[in-house]
Amino acid sequence: MENNVIQAPPQKSTSSLPTRMKTGGGFPINGRTIGLIISAVVLGGVLAHKSDTFLLPYTMSVISKQIAFFALLALAQAVCLVVGGMNLSVGAICSITTVTLGVCMANANMSGWEAVPITLTAGCLIGWLNGMLITKLKIDSFIITLSMMFVYMGMRSGISGGIPYALPESFTFIGQEHVLGVPYVFILVVIILVMVAYVFNSTVFGRRLLATGGNEDAAKLSGVNTDQMIVWANILSGLFAALAAVLWASKMGSAAPETGDNWVIVTFAVAIIGGTGLSGGVISAPGIFMGGVIFALIKYGLVEMRINDYWANCVLGGLVLLAIIVDRIRETYDAKMKSAAGRRNERDLAKDKSAA
Amino acid sequence: MLELQSISKSFPGIKALDDVSLRFEKGEIHALVGENGAGKSTAIKIITGIYQPDSGQIVWDSKRLKFHNYKDSIVAGIYIVYQEIQVIPESSIAENIMLDKMITLGKTGIVNWKQVNETAAKYMKMVGLDLPPTTIMRHLSAAHKQLTQIAKALAANAQVLLLDEPTSSLTQHESENLFGILRELKSNGVIIIFVSHKIEEVMALCDCVSVLRDGKHVGTRPVSELSKDDLIKMMIGRECNDEHLGKLDVNLDREMLRAEHIVRYEKARDISFRVFEGEVLGFYGLVGAGRTELARIIIGEDKPDSGAIYIRGEKARINNISDSLYRYKIGYVTENRKEEGLFLKSSVETNITITIWNAIINRITRKISRSKEIAISQDMVGALQVKATSLGQSVEDLSGGNQQKVSIAKWLAADCDVLIIDEPTVGVDVGAKEQIHQLIWDLAQKSRKAVILISSDMREIIKVSNRILVFRDQQIVGELTDVDDPGKTYDETSMAIGRYLA
Repeated sequence: MENNVIQAPPQKSTSSLPTRMKTGGGFPINGRTIGLIISAVVLGGVLAHKSDTFLLPYTMSVISKQIAFFALLALAQAVCLVVGGMNLSVGAICSITTVTLGVCMANANMSGWEAVPITLTAGCLIGWLNGMLITKLKIDSFIITLSMMFVYMGMRSGISGGIPYALPESFTFIGQEHVLGVPYVFILVVIILVMVAYVFNSTVFGRRLLATGGNEDAAKLSGVNTDQMIVWANILSGLFAALAAVLWASKMGSAAPETGDNWVIVTFAVAIIGGTGLSGGVISAPGIFMGGVIFALIKYGLVEMRINDYWANCVLGGLVLLAIIVDRIRETYDAKMKSAAGRRNERDLAKDKSAA
Repeated sequence: MLELQSISKSFPGIKALDDVSLRFEKGEIHALVGENGAGKSTAIKIITGIYQPDSGQIVWDSKRLKFHNYKDSIVAGIYIVYQEIQVIPESSIAENIMLDKMITLGKTGIVNWKQVNETAAKYMKMVGLDLPPTTIMRHLSAAHKQLTQIAKALAANAQVLLLDEPTSSLTQHESENLFGILRELKSNGVIIIFVSHKIEEVMALCDCVSVLRDGKHVGTRPVSELSKDDLIKMMIGRECNDEHLGKLDVNLDREMLRAEHIVRYEKARDISFRVFEGEVLGFYGLVGAGRTELARIIIGEDKPDSGAIYIRGEKARINNISDSLYRYKIGYVTENRKEEGLFLKSSVETNITITIWNAIINRITRKISRSKEIAISQDMVGALQVKATSLGQSVEDLSGGNQQKVSIAKWLAADCDVLIIDEPTVGVDVGAKEQIHQLIWDLAQKSRKAVILISSDMREIIKVSNRILVFRDQQIVGELTDVDDPGKTYDETSMAIGRYLA
């Protein structure tokens, strides 16, 4: 690298620069995530106070499973949001992969060891197809995934005829069992979140995904194959969706074709509450986890308050809107602070100049 | 008679117009010429009320006009036909012409299409637009779209017609047709202000010409009294105190990049050139002359229809930017710093190291080494004297000059041998400009890079380069060598460039 150095900096030594890294990819726990943690604690406190059943091990186990599913589904959405796109077909992918699993196990009599890898591969292939359509046809991800959503839903209905597939008893192990009171599903999703955090924070692959969403043109001009990144994001999205489908089938003990029908809105809600930037380039694994926690707690609270399930959606939708509004206010506030700082800087510079 | 009296207008860091007084008489075609950045666009925007002058006034027939916005100028009868032709593509010609004065059936609010079309046809006839008024705009050629705009101006009863580079997208024949119509309008007493780079057109069409240079009014002369050379001299001849940065030691034995007969439809017409180690090769030309387009072909963002690129004497196969960067070590600093060059919300560090992440990972964990990232970006920040509060500061918060340094640093970190630097000092304040010039010169002289400097700023390009290629209409129309020769004066070089462009 020596030959890069153009000239020695006169006077000013660079060592005076603080090297504190600003959260580039957004992984270390930031202010926003702390806000989510505080909200979750408050929410949990209220629920523990008002509800007799909340602190029971059984309730905790149910809620922690819900958190796992919400976070996993949000992740399927977030990886697409991160590259500046979206995936409206997350629910439909869950649905078609559930049918894939059902066909493999119930019709072809495969074991779980064969059927699960096939199902996950199917998820990846579907994601790959989405990604290729988006990048090769250069059509917005909204349009592609919206139309493909219907394609996948049509396929699952056609193949399954709408009838659930029975799964063997042994298959419910991962979805229903616990270790030391903690569901396997929860442990698995936490491990995945840690891996995701590592990938986005520390690997070239993850940071190129972030760069693609941050500024696609700049990323391309910096030698990042942005089309490839978008395809990979969609593959990951398909993989996470398929995994969610497998875990759900294991939890339910059967592969129901209607799995995933109402999940798209959940994926957006949890991802957004969890601090995933809607315009790309920002993701936070702890944020997504906390998004899942808050979502699960509120859902539980609504049940405790005996609010009709139909009405509950109003509250959840309002919650998403609130999260977006709060973020927007933060942005405007930040911008204001920055422009004030900028003006101060300019004044100082002008002073420096006149002094010199 | 329209008069600008002592108009001045400043923007942060630049005086765009400095005490400019211009007079436009009725029944004349008046050319407004000048180099890029001479102040033409600012003058136009002030005449049309988009900008308000800091001082001075606009007077129309001894009545003072005060425009607060674009609409005020239209009401006053001043109308502009823009460079990028602005139309509503899915509407009819008649609708485009009559948009702001739709004729309705009484007060019902229902459009009286018959009358709208008839009225529009009347104005279309005046500009020689021989098409049904119901034709959808999208199907029209650039020339016809332009005529529609002029018809619209006439429908608005325009007294002053401003044309900004009206022939840039027209063929020779279409241009001549346009000139005929303009002459006719002139005889009807309309003031026509014709803004153009093309000196030949100005000489052929206009009655008199006003020249702007560096925001100042250099003079107004009847065209009949001027030769082409006189006009060029007025446009570019200037006192230039900038010394050339010094003679570069170009190593002619080490050819870094050679382009042979690059052709791409509408972007490059048979372009060949070579650039050597330790050289700053300037690409001068007006915006749209094909310089950036050529750069994008070289880095593999665009494919040439034919032609070849050789890197260090070997034929290169560049399929994408990743190839040009990692295989051939070519870096491209874009002219659109904010849109394409930087990740504005990300840190200085991320912006510098993005090109080298692959080189600093741990082989087993695939983890990008944080310490190397910090060390390299710190080196760059020091070497280029980027003023940032920390490596973690968002690039968004840096000044234009520092942002530009960061976008150059990215390619230095990647250790590129050939650097293409596109309009590096646009939107950069004067002090930082000097620093960037020195930096580019040092890149060639001290770091032994081959630099291609794309710029529309004549002073900048003469100050830094040792050789200049002049671009016009997507081809190279001239080459100036030994620009860095101490014996060569600024005037000599700039006149030579001016002649190639005229």
